[in-house]
Amino acid sequence: MSEDAVTEKDVRHVASLARVALADDEVDRFTTQFEEILDAFETLEEVPSVDRSAELTNVLRPDEKRDSLSPEEALENAPETEEGRFKGPNVS
Amino acid sequence: MTAQTVQQGELVTVIGLEVHVQLETETKIFCGCSTGDADEPNEHVCPVCLGLPGALPVVNEAAVEAAVKIGKAIDAEIPQETRFHRKNYYYPDLPKNFQITQYDEPICQSGELEVRVEGERRPIEIERAHLEEDPGSLQHVGGGGGIDSAEYTLIDYNRAGTPLMEIVTAPDFRSPAEVRAFLAELEEVLEYLGVFDAERDGSLRVDANLSIVEAAEADENGELSTEALESANRTEVKNISSHKGAEKALAYEETRQKNAIQRGRVVEQETRHWDESRGITVSMRSKAEEKDYRYFEEADIPPLQVAHWREEIEIPELPRARRERFREEYALDEEAASKLTSTKQVADFYEDLASEFDPDLAATWVADELLGELNYRDMAITELEDRLDEVARLVELVATDEITAKNAKEIVLRTMLDEGAAPDAIVEAEGLGKTDEGEVQAAVEAAIADNPDAVADYAEGDDGAINFLVGQVMQATGGSADPGTVNQLLRAELDD
Ligand SMILES: [Zn+2]
Repeated sequence: MSEDAVTEKDVRHVASLARVALADDEVDRFTTQFEEILDAFETLEEVPSVDRSAELTNVLRPDEKRDSLSPEEALENAPETEEGRFKGPNVS
Repeated sequence: MTAQTVQQGELVTVIGLEVHVQLETETKIFCGCSTGDADEPNEHVCPVCLGLPGALPVVNEAAVEAAVKIGKAIDAEIPQETRFHRKNYYYPDLPKNFQITQYDEPICQSGELEVRVEGERRPIEIERAHLEEDPGSLQHVGGGGGIDSAEYTLIDYNRAGTPLMEIVTAPDFRSPAEVRAFLAELEEVLEYLGVFDAERDGSLRVDANLSIVEAAEADENGELSTEALESANRTEVKNISSHKGAEKALAYEETRQKNAIQRGRVVEQETRHWDESRGITVSMRSKAEEKDYRYFEEADIPPLQVAHWREEIEIPELPRARRERFREEYALDEEAASKLTSTKQVADFYEDLASEFDPDLAATWVADELLGELNYRDMAITELEDRLDEVARLVELVATDEITAKNAKEIVLRTMLDEGAAPDAIVEAEGLGKTDEGEVQAAVEAAIADNPDAVADYAEGDDGAINFLVGQVMQATGGSADPGTVNQLLRAELDD
């Protein structure tokens, strides 16, 4: 990855996918940071690859109902709610 | 279409589909929350389907079984190993910011389903079918309620995590009518398998790719080369929710693109939204490209190895096979056979009746009378599930000549459906038991005695006069006589 340097355009694209608004000075800052983060991850290339545990397949559960949360519990952490629903900004 | 018949500038429509169907399971695909109707929003939710940190998805065995059944029904291959992936995108209908789906190792590969349009059968290739989770439901509130103008969004995650099967076809369709026929056939097959409920709101959603290519690009078998297909700009039409809607949306889109080409304009490659109420497709802001979804393996779910289930899981006789058997076994015409196999329940009910009564009579009663009256009331046979024995009793009353077919349909069946009464009670209450022969004969003689003008008209060759006399007898017997018999008795008397 280090040979393809992170560009300002990459940062703006990733920000738009994540629906994050970035100011111009933040774009500069994140361009440097992305580069540093990707470099750090490069280290993982040195870790030898290991096969996953072969026996672990078909982890399934029977089609049986389990208790759900109550609507109150479900909405407990929501910053805003209305009529039992999570409330968020307009999206398009 | 063959190359010989191609004319200069002739255009061919090319359509491929992505069909999303909700699978009928008790619980969601990765958690034990109910998939049933909820009274309140956010009632069937838990840490898994809300995407709370640390929650672990575990695959519902019934959803995998349903997928294998579908694979078997569409003649698909179930690979040795199949796995789940994360499709990353940020939209509030997905609380995790990714959807668990299957990317490059789907559970069903290369199947096919045959469609029949205007008597011609054609196989449609199904490239793949995979399992995934349904997102939650959004409401765009304020500002007129449009997606773009809304002030805010309300989210209900009851639907989030409902198992979906996405079925992807090759670009094998050449007309919107073929698409509609395919979707109807697919719904029938899925209902036969017991994995799908067409009556359920939102149980079928379709995205369609449509492009227009020069017919001259086709080879002598009418096949279009990959290059021809790829060089044409296509649009993806989203938000189609029924087979009728699919035909309308694609007919609109076909005309729109052909008009553009004929005016020398370029069809833009874009995503369009089918606006059902306005009957048009509208351009949507361009969406992410495939690479933007940054698919990667879902490490929380170990791979599935279920290829051997294909042999172990039984599936019922499918609609096409059953249709053909009905035509042979019960000597039905194509239309009747097709109506009688339209759902598994209808077909099962017909076979029950045909084993007891005359198969022709049973066919008329199920295909024409029962389905006709149900259709008129916008009812499905499933709503009569517990009362099919009453319908069978009604057919028995007709088969054993206890009531006339006309009364059985016009009074008994309609009262059964509208008022929920049982057939014998209605026959009793309405006095519909067939009048005995002596009474009918007496009424025939009385009608002749009381209507000398009609009798004279008949004698002079006015055959219409007999209908008047039949009417008089029917009235006198309260409609319980058989009109055919009355007609014969009258003629016997008058022709003497
Ligand atoms: Zn849940």
